[in-house]
Amino acid sequence: MYGYEITQTVKELTGGKIQLTEGALYPSLHALEAEGILITESEFIGKRMRKYYSLSPEGKTITKEKLSELADFMNTMKILLDLKTSI
Amino acid sequence: MYSISDQQIAFILNDIRRNGVEMEDLQSNLLDHICCIIENQLEENGDFEQFYYQTVCTFYIKNLSEIEEETKALLNNKYYYTMKKIMFVSGSVSASLISIGILFKFMHWPGAGMLIVLGTVLFSLLFLPMLFTIKSKEKQNLKDKIILGTGSFIAILISLAILFKIMHWPGANMMGVISLLTMILLYIPLYFFSGIKNQDSKANTIITSILMVAGCGLFMALARAPYASRIMSIKDTGNYLRMEQIYQAEKKQVDNLKVSVVQKKEVASTGDDIIRSCDALKSDILEWQTGFKTVDQDFERKNALIVDGWVRIYFEDNESARQKLADLRKLVVKYNAGQNKADSNPVHAVPLDAIDFDSSEEKILCALNNLVQLQMIVLQNESASGMKR
Repeated sequence: MYGYEITQTVKELTGGKIQLTEGALYPSLHALEAEGILITESEFIGKRMRKYYSLSPEGKTITKEKLSELADFMNTMKILLDLKTSI
Repeated sequence: MYSISDQQIAFILNDIRRNGVEMEDLQSNLLDHICCIIENQLEENGDFEQFYYQTVCTFYIKNLSEIEEETKALLNNKYYYTMKKIMFVSGSVSASLISIGILFKFMHWPGAGMLIVLGTVLFSLLFLPMLFTIKSKEKQNLKDKIILGTGSFIAILISLAILFKIMHWPGANMMGVISLLTMILLYIPLYFFSGIKNQDSKANTIITSILMVAGCGLFMALARAPYASRIMSIKDTGNYLRMEQIYQAEKKQVDNLKVSVVQKKEVASTGDDIIRSCDALKSDILEWQTGFKTVDQDFERKNALIVDGWVRIYFEDNESARQKLADLRKLVVKYNAGQNKADSNPVHAVPLDAIDFDSSEEKILCALNNLVQLQMIVLQNESASGMKR
């Protein structure tokens, strides 16, 4: 996925509730690339270059870890706050 | 859908560059992003320039270069975390190495020196510089950074000075004096006066300054002043002088005895050799220490003092001195064997381990006294066997 595509996808998936700003998106993408979590492929569209981002194998495991951490955290918060929600 | 011309692409790229985005990667990313927005949202005959400025305005608060700054900050952050990790690991490893090393040193187990050296080097040359780099990133103004830098430098110097001191490496005292002086004259005043101005840190600054001054004072109390060293050297030299005088008196008595009694030739000659050999070693060591071959009553005025130190240093790079010591050892072995044969009780064997100066931790005064004691034992044996006759 390239940058613009990411912002549009996020917008679509959240029904417009989360709009990634360019000022937040690109710095994060560059940092994640430098850390080896993302790998990139470049393609020329006419005169301009488009960079496609995807998760590296290492990035995939880290994502899994972080997601399970988040789920854990959310479970804990649910217990702590004793939420009586019906999701 | 709007279609963008090559000219317009060049225009956008130029504008991005002009607004302070220097990273090429980021330039092309932003270019593609803007083009996508224009292509998707601008009508076919819309005003390109107006729409472009409207769009790019939503990317930032004050300036487009904010994106680049943020990117750089995030990229640096990566090293920040790695550095923090290195700092914690090197800190805990060095702390445990030093603690284990000190335990080994107390117990006289082998390897203590290596553990302490490794721990201290890790602590002062990796942990402290890391601590400085990380902390200095948190400080905003130059003054705080200077204070932090001075503090780290002093901490490194003090830990190295202590390491050099316990390993008996040269330059330890110099490093200690420099670090303590910079701490008292430069660091503590800087720290105190900059911290006391700030209401929030006032109390903390006062307490920390008091702790540092007291710490420096206690540290200084551990060090021996040159004046005290001189007093100690005078006492030591006086001690040796009395020892030597007692020996000379005893020698005179035994010599008088010898004249009247015929000695057993064999034992007596080895004994004489030991006495001569000891005399030679004594005068060599004395000359190295005081510049004179003997010590007399006037030693204090002549400043001919025996200094507190290891005698091993004298033998370290002195082949002829080591040879003399080896010869003395051989004589002692021969003498002790001869004494056993002669079975003329009560005689004392001459202790061989009292003269292993080149390998033991023997002080200079102790070594000289040991040599005198050796001579006196030989004299006593001679007079004892002389009385018998």
